[in-house]
Amino acid sequence: MAAPRERQGETGHTELSSSDRLRTYVVVPAYNEAACIGEVLSGLVAVYPNVVVVDDGSSDDTYAVAGGIVPHALRHAVNRGQGAALQTGIEYALKCGAAYIVTFDADGQHRIEDIAALVGPIAAGECETTLGSRFLGETIHMPASRRFMLRLAVLFTRLVSRVPLTDAHNGLRAFSRRAATQIDLSMDRMAHASEIIDIIRRSELPFREVPVQIRYTEYSLAKGQSVRDGIRIALHYIVSRVVR
Amino acid sequence: MSLFELSMFQRIAIAIVIVLFISSIVAMIKGWAGRREGLIWITVWLVAGVAILWPAVTSRIAAALGIGRGADLVFYSAVVVMMLGFWMVYIRMRRLRREITLLVRHLAILEAGKDPAGADRDATKAESPEKTPKANPWQKRSKAPPQH
Repeated sequence: MAAPRERQGETGHTELSSSDRLRTYVVVPAYNEAACIGEVLSGLVAVYPNVVVVDDGSSDDTYAVAGGIVPHALRHAVNRGQGAALQTGIEYALKCGAAYIVTFDADGQHRIEDIAALVGPIAAGECETTLGSRFLGETIHMPASRRFMLRLAVLFTRLVSRVPLTDAHNGLRAFSRRAATQIDLSMDRMAHASEIIDIIRRSELPFREVPVQIRYTEYSLAKGQSVRDGIRIALHYIVSRVVR
Repeated sequence: MSLFELSMFQRIAIAIVIVLFISSIVAMIKGWAGRREGLIWITVWLVAGVAILWPAVTSRIAAALGIGRGADLVFYSAVVVMMLGFWMVYIRMRRLRREITLLVRHLAILEAGKDPAGADRDATKAESPEKTPKANPWQKRSKAPPQH
């Protein structure tokens, strides 16, 4: 359905055509990220013009900073959680006519180059959803405690969702328009990562994991989840699955 | 049974229960409370009234169920009812949270279309960063952004 695309080898270093880049909407949920988000967003818009920032009711200048850089800045009047912000961004991108929707974290842990590797297989019609995996790819400065917790999260996801993934809670994902319309996140907070996997499985649309690189900085680690958060997320997820 | 045979506790408790009973009926008639909700409360006050005026009744039911004393039966039932109540409140809170999210989302998407910084500005010709939107008016700007 699109213009020419070159592939370089098996590692998935795809170059997207400019029309594909224009039809790719990058959704960035952000909560109190004013300190760092400017740099991340400037890098993004330079390659992907359609960046959608959803400010999740931040108390800092996140919205103002984002509004000055990206064409689509949305704001939640009150904080509703990352899952809710993602859903808002996805619905908005669909309304704008996005062909591909990418979710991207605001804290600078993802590489912009990885987006092409995620959208590439979808644009080529090989699958409908791609999920970034840090365990397939290279990871920079991941503390052992973080690695242990993420491994637990993967095990948890394999158990409850019965999808054999190597990474469960990676913020970098890409959806085709068709897959994105299936997504209806009801878990507003962090449990949405498991919920997305459930939705993908239920939709029976083909998906693939793509190796991505995660950069752990002091900033992104501080914004990340602690072990206690992890337990809370798991409990929240279980309750939400039981109670409709 | 005359009023004078009642203990002090019974007199106070029954007075409170009667007031609550009457207000439940009034609330139901005037439509302040739902029909089902009203009936549940009226039943609760009726049961409470019986238990206060004739404590022996609870003892008899307790004995039939194999529970030692009537007071224990009342205690156990109260715990169960309270747990059910908490559960119902929790469910309602979840639904409320969901509705707030949908409302906030609707508002965010609606505003994005109208805002000068929003969707009206086409991505391909978006070159006017001087139009910076105001900070969130719903939030008090008290906290400084995290330092790094």
